[in-house]
Amino acid sequence: MITRRHAALLLGAPLILPARAFAQERQPATPRRGGELLFGLDGAAVASFVLDPHDSGFAPHNRVFRSIYDGLVVLRPDQSVGPWLATSWEISPDQKNYTFKLRTDVIFHDGTKFDAAAVKANLDRIGNGEGRPLTALPDIGSYESTEVLAPDTVRIRLKEPFAPLLRNLSKTTLGIISPAALAKHGAAIAQNPVGSGPFRFVSLVQGVEIKLERNPDYNWAPAGAAHQGPAYLERLTFKNVPEEATRVAAVQSRQVHAADGIPPQNVVAFRSASGFQMLEKELLNNNYTIYLNVTKAPWNDEEIRQAFRASLDLDAAVRVIYLGTTPRAWAPLSPSIFASADASLKGSWRPDLARAQQILEAKGWKVGARGIREKNGERLTVSFADTQGNREKRLDVIQFLRRQLARSGFDLSIDSQPNATYRQKLTDGDYDLSGASQFAPDPDVLSRLHLPDGRTRASVAKTNDPDISEWLRAGRREGDPEKRAEYYVRAQRKLVEKVYAIPIYVLLYTIAASDQLQGLVIDTHGFPQFHGAWLRA
Amino acid sequence: MLFIFRRMAGAVFVIFGTITLVFAILYWLPGDPAVLVAGENATEESIARIRTLLGTERPLWAQYLDYLSGLAQGDLGTSFATQEPVTIRLWAQFPSTVALTLLASTVAIVTGVLFGVIAAVNRGNRLDQAIQSVMLFLTSMPSFWFGILLILLFSVTLQWLPAIGSDSFAQLILPVTCLGLIASGRLMRMVRNSVLDVLDEPFVTALRAKGLVEWQVLFRHVLRNALIPVVTLLGILVGELLSGTVVVETLFARQGIGRLLVDAVGVKDVPVIQGTVLIASISFVIINLLVDLSYSVIDPRVRVEG
Repeated sequence: MITRRHAALLLGAPLILPARAFAQERQPATPRRGGELLFGLDGAAVASFVLDPHDSGFAPHNRVFRSIYDGLVVLRPDQSVGPWLATSWEISPDQKNYTFKLRTDVIFHDGTKFDAAAVKANLDRIGNGEGRPLTALPDIGSYESTEVLAPDTVRIRLKEPFAPLLRNLSKTTLGIISPAALAKHGAAIAQNPVGSGPFRFVSLVQGVEIKLERNPDYNWAPAGAAHQGPAYLERLTFKNVPEEATRVAAVQSRQVHAADGIPPQNVVAFRSASGFQMLEKELLNNNYTIYLNVTKAPWNDEEIRQAFRASLDLDAAVRVIYLGTTPRAWAPLSPSIFASADASLKGSWRPDLARAQQILEAKGWKVGARGIREKNGERLTVSFADTQGNREKRLDVIQFLRRQLARSGFDLSIDSQPNATYRQKLTDGDYDLSGASQFAPDPDVLSRLHLPDGRTRASVAKTNDPDISEWLRAGRREGDPEKRAEYYVRAQRKLVEKVYAIPIYVLLYTIAASDQLQGLVIDTHGFPQFHGAWLRA
Repeated sequence: MLFIFRRMAGAVFVIFGTITLVFAILYWLPGDPAVLVAGENATEESIARIRTLLGTERPLWAQYLDYLSGLAQGDLGTSFATQEPVTIRLWAQFPSTVALTLLASTVAIVTGVLFGVIAAVNRGNRLDQAIQSVMLFLTSMPSFWFGILLILLFSVTLQWLPAIGSDSFAQLILPVTCLGLIASGRLMRMVRNSVLDVLDEPFVTALRAKGLVEWQVLFRHVLRNALIPVVTLLGILVGELLSGTVVVETLFARQGIGRLLVDAVGVKDVPVIQGTVLIASISFVIINLLVDLSYSVIDPRVRVEG
């Protein structure tokens, strides 16, 4: 039998063996051209890659998009928006017209030219699509039409002011596709992506790998990028490695140069392992947050929600599960997003078991069999609906909270379902608790969850609060950044105060890489940038 | 000949029953495929349009008959999720799973039979005990755990073999070992027991008395008689290996039909699920047919009775 000690030896071995610490001193080397970078992608066990930026909200695929597609604008480290394929822009006083001046030297991978008509073709595809609505539709909000004023000038018209537009245009989901390729491939563009990015598509094996190669013409990286001109790497190959232990092993055995989605225990180990490096950066995100189904009793009662939350010790849960590698979240929006209320909400509530029990007693929920509270013969059960398994160790967190909740008499169970069933349950309101996160650079992401007429029927949050709705609508229309931030901060404060949302942790996007890999950066959104990456000889 | 014909008729019935059952289960499960295909921002009209496009708004029996008539013409339908023909999606993944399953079966058979015979011949002594403990250990291993141990040892520590991918033979070695060795444990115990049973029979003593060398007794006579129960188990094992690929393919980041199936169930891609189940049940039925036929090769009496 393998004892715990043997197992520890086996597990520990990889960290001890490649001890080449003294051999490689860090020195500023000149970048080397050529080579193939192999990247292990935390891509889940999907059988089909969707490389259509306008139609995938799946973060792992969006991590590939930035290498193939460019955006009109770029998000700078200070959260402001800078020029990229668009060199400058003007917003009309009524905020309904955005006029962009475009670069004239940009060529798509298929040799066609990027111009105003290309921008129009892309936005019209999302905004006035003939087929089914694409995932990127909410990113362009109240889009009406696009007008080509000159080959290098384009005007986007909105039905009403939509302040998130500019920041959203920096998203991977609004990457610009070659219109010629769109016409040629139609929906099959998802398997034949053609953009203007630093790498062009070569081939894919569904669910297994995506091969890209250098775009030798690339000369339009945004100002301030770590590198200008064509990429150093000759080839860039993404290998989908869904299992985290395998991903880590693939880096350690140097079968790939780097991999993302590194589990906490390995983050700690990679940070100090010689021959390897860890890259970590906050993903701009509507944090992983759990939502009580406020349309259903007893969760429609604010006090019961307070009792639920007062039973939780999130500091302990996040510290134990993530081993201190990731911060606990206080606000719905991750700390770096414009208008995040994380700092101001810090310490806004604390665990209080006595108070939780007191509320439940007062509400008539009496302790029954096995310590679970009951009222009128009904037990205080909480069904946590889930579909993604233990992604980012979320189920570990829920298991941890389950034990905390049991102390005040809640009985939490995990209801794990295939995606189809899960979404049906959300649509029908047939759940007590569920959680989700959404990557986004703009606070308007809150509207997708908490604005009753702005969200899908299968939304995980069912908030319906007149104040919050009003602030979220006002935030969309407001042109002045300071006033705008004020609306979102208020909305976040009330979401937390009324326990409409219980933010859990701030996700850091993590990459473990061999020391051979240089120049790989994580951009402001929290996505990998391979343009300036190179491999040491 | 009649025997084969009868078995074939039975096989068709089994396959037919499987796809009918899966069809019923899929429609009984909650969740509308059209809603999933339509995506997050879909309006009611676009969902309705997609429902018509997919044909899921028609009554269940109409969809079922349609599927069967398509099947009769060799048409497995079109994937809801990607709009590609199901056959194309299946053939992209199937060869990799077949290679994995067949090689794993070979590993299981060779190690299982070999160690089973060695253990039986050395009944009760140290070698027998050692083989038995190792095999018990392997049988009790969950594949994901054994797989991770193999990766840590052979990929990370020794750096001999690749942990991920499905392009080369080297990439097959670890997943095949993982699946094959786990299965070999049960096979070995079966072989050991049935060899021991046969060794006790009077005809073995008679053969030995006749002056036959021990290896002739063992391989010509004992093993042949001991194989029937083992072959039966083999039919079941191959089926288990086929389903075991779901975990192993994900663990070793390989292509394969297992992952395709899991993915399709998640988005309720009915044609793909049906196609995968169909191809898996056909493989299973063929293997069991081969098993049944092999009885008559091993033991001619089956032919007469069959």
